[in-house]
Amino acid sequence: MLTLTGEVDVSNTPQVREAGLKLLADGAKKLVVDLSATDYMDSAGLGTLVGLLKRLKEAGGAMAIAGPQPRVNRLFQITGLNQIFAIYEDVGTAVKEVGA
Amino acid sequence: MNAVVPSQVELRIPRSCEFVRIARKTARALAHQLDFIITDAADIELAIGEACTNAVEHVGGNCPEIVVRFSSDAEQLVMEVIDQGQGFDPGRVPDPEVADEDSIGGLGLLVIRALMDELDITCNPDVGGTCVRMVKYRTKQ
Repeated sequence: MLTLTGEVDVSNTPQVREAGLKLLADGAKKLVVDLSATDYMDSAGLGTLVGLLKRLKEAGGAMAIAGPQPRVNRLFQITGLNQIFAIYEDVGTAVKEVGA
Repeated sequence: MNAVVPSQVELRIPRSCEFVRIARKTARALAHQLDFIITDAADIELAIGEACTNAVEHVGGNCPEIVVRFSSDAEQLVMEVIDQGQGFDPGRVPDPEVADEDSIGGLGLLVIRALMDELDITCNPDVGGTCVRMVKYRTKQ
């Protein structure tokens, strides 16, 4: 589980990427990203999540997005990335669906 | 006493990721002061953030600062993000209707186009400098 709280923007996406890559390096093949407490995200944040998704897919893994607030969910829709990510209303459903 | 909302605001921020947040927080505060509805104020914040991020991340050359200008009237809020970097050809910027994992680089402009009522990019690759001009119309509450 990768939980992102507050604002995810270009200033802190390196830390998000680092935290995600550490989970992958530790052997995670199925990852749920909890966005329920993420107040703001920009395209840099989305790009970081896309990068993690690509790495997981290459490793035969899977990733799910859980609980994005309307503002963040809208960003997924605007960019069409809601077609690429599996997005669920809450963490429990995401964990169940992705098998994390 | 009611706050007096200036019709023009100009910021000069260092061309650094850490200062993008200042620009977008200013944009959001101004949008609230100008009585934009909450969702429009959020859109304005995001669009300014994306334009500033582009200026920080994707504009080459020796450009130490970014200028962010806001001007408003009864009908609209006009925002300009100006840098003196190398400039770029906006015709070469990817404009995917739907982003995929391989077109992630064009997402910033894709987001701005979706959120703003007008977007104009003026740049001159020969002499450098780019101005991203965005307009958001006021929506009656």
